[in-house]
Amino acid sequence: MKTLYNIIIKIVKLFCLLFKPILKTNTATIIANKIFTFGCKMLKPIFKDDGTVTPGYYATMYNKSILDELIYPRYIIGVTGSSGKGSTTSLIAHVLEGNGYKVVWNKNGSNLFNAATTLILNHTNPFTKRIKADVLLLELDESFIKTIFNKVKLTHLVITNITRDQPARNGNPDIIFNKIASSIDANTHLVINADDPIVTRFKVIHKGLITTYGIGKYKTDTKEPISNTVDAAYCPVCETKLKYNFYHYGHLGDYTCPKCKFSRNKLDFQAKDIDLDKQFMTINRNIVHLNKNVFFCCYYTLATFALLKTIGLETKDIQEYLNNQVLEAKRMKEYRLGKRKVEMIESKNENALSYLQSINFIKSEHGKKTIIIGFDNVSRRYSYNDISWLYDVDFELLNDNSIDKIFCIGRFKYDVYTRLKYAGIREEKLIIVDDLNNILELVKKKSKGSIYTMACFDMTAILKKLLNEGMKK
Amino acid sequence: MKIIKIAHLYYDIMNLYGESGNILALTEALKKQGARYTVTNVTKGDKIDFSKFDIFYIGCGTYDNQIMVLKDILRYKTEIKKIIKKKIFIATGNSYELFGKKINNMEALDCFNFESKTVRDRIVKEQVYKTYILDKPVIGFQNRVSINNNKENHLFEVIDGNADNNKSKFEGVHINNFYGTYTLGPLLIRNPHLLDKIIKDFFIANKYPYKEIKGTPDYKAYDEYIKNFNIK
Repeated sequence: MKTLYNIIIKIVKLFCLLFKPILKTNTATIIANKIFTFGCKMLKPIFKDDGTVTPGYYATMYNKSILDELIYPRYIIGVTGSSGKGSTTSLIAHVLEGNGYKVVWNKNGSNLFNAATTLILNHTNPFTKRIKADVLLLELDESFIKTIFNKVKLTHLVITNITRDQPARNGNPDIIFNKIASSIDANTHLVINADDPIVTRFKVIHKGLITTYGIGKYKTDTKEPISNTVDAAYCPVCETKLKYNFYHYGHLGDYTCPKCKFSRNKLDFQAKDIDLDKQFMTINRNIVHLNKNVFFCCYYTLATFALLKTIGLETKDIQEYLNNQVLEAKRMKEYRLGKRKVEMIESKNENALSYLQSINFIKSEHGKKTIIIGFDNVSRRYSYNDISWLYDVDFELLNDNSIDKIFCIGRFKYDVYTRLKYAGIREEKLIIVDDLNNILELVKKKSKGSIYTMACFDMTAILKKLLNEGMKK
Repeated sequence: MKIIKIAHLYYDIMNLYGESGNILALTEALKKQGARYTVTNVTKGDKIDFSKFDIFYIGCGTYDNQIMVLKDILRYKTEIKKIIKKKIFIATGNSYELFGKKINNMEALDCFNFESKTVRDRIVKEQVYKTYILDKPVIGFQNRVSINNNKENHLFEVIDGNADNNKSKFEGVHINNFYGTYTLGPLLIRNPHLLDKIIKDFFIANKYPYKEIKGTPDYKAYDEYIKNFNIK
């Protein structure tokens, strides 16, 4: 099958080469993109290529600057950041569509150059070169904003946070910041999470408009950081140590520089009165609904609200679609092991804050708990297997009486086990699973309480399969 | 045995890649030896008395942070030069460059005879090294955008990975109890042999009783990694 796929790709390449002079024209490129996408959709059952990336790659092989030549809608909105950009993008799209806007957006979360190209060209009229939408809304990988919006710039950019994330690819927070900064100009209106001092640096350098949002004091906030691993401890202007009133988590919180004027204040949109059990909060005194009972839901709801107000939607129109929001069709499937609830919490490797949120969520749940942690590969984007980030995750928080057992799985199970031991978790609570096929038996026999998996994509897929088989029996 | 004093230098600036793990490794190893210890976090603006401590650790930072620390640490140049060859000093990632002569033509601590500079392409790779101080390979990860021209007192010889610069086969600096390497992250947890060697040398030099402890999870994780990634 793979050879056949390769042959087809060769034919496509040959086709592109033959028609190179034609494909240099924009109309032909747009049409080629549509044909390739159609082809991928037809052949998807056989080749598993869903046509979100490949068409744009081949169609623009000889016309790399086509995106500079199109006629864009009034709003070109980007959403970027180390985490939360997917949830923010889909919530913005939901409210906009509810309000009758025609939105072109990357639903499937493919946020790199070729995927964006494929999406945009598929919604472009090949003859007028006009994108058929009121709003072009893109979740954007921090590193690729510049390549996509080279000449035409975003009208609005939401920046959710900048934290250490996939360092092998992204380098470090300073590099991410600079990449975003170099991809916008004064015409881009920024909507930023001011709880994050790295993001707030844009207030110092950005020449265009800025709207800020942040979350007020919440009951789980801390006066001191949970650990010393904070990405932005110092003022980016005068290098004085920032003074925090409180930390939400990581380096997100309310801070001021004791020496210069750098601070998170004053917020344009502030969320308060958060009630995760009842799933609501207020933004500038307006009650809004939260579609999940987790803290980071407050951030993407707040970002959505701030952005939509910025482009002129009425509060009540935003509220209506936030409040009446029907959860997506592919609602989280509930898994069970015997009578025990199983909850799959996807945790992003190499992103300590993603793990921290999973840990906080598990801790906030009631009753006895069993946790399954592990991964086979650190990343699906590259083959590096650096495990340093395990020591940036505050696994120390799992020293909690409600946690009965922790099962370590995957190729790095001993590294995970070692990390948990260093976190001070007692040996009798830790179990190494040598054969993943036995995991459910082991969990059944050796542990109590609801089951939470804190695994990355690869392990989650295997566990789901095992649980499905187990539930059929 | 007196209380062993550890200083975590610039703990809140140079901490980019899980490097607090190295402090955990040191304290856990001391605990197993029955030693009493303290860990003091010191940073920019503090007044650091280098004569007070026995073990110093400094981790990796962004370039901006490295330069912020460079400006601060230069205050202690004479003091550091005095003690650098006597006490235990462990520097991982780009912090190791602070101890050379220069970083991008800016004055550095001048403890060792090399200069560092930023390069265009980022070096990102798993590392496997051998070292004359151990009979097992050392494993780790690097993610850096600078090189140096060190020609002596190497800590590692490259088996698979990156040297100080692309003309060299060697990486890092080792003199007496100073260990400097571009390798970052929880180096001492991932390489329990190296950790034990450092602690053992320290105990023997101070005539403290030392007991061999093997078979901890760290060793198991190390062995598994060697096996999984087929390292010879």
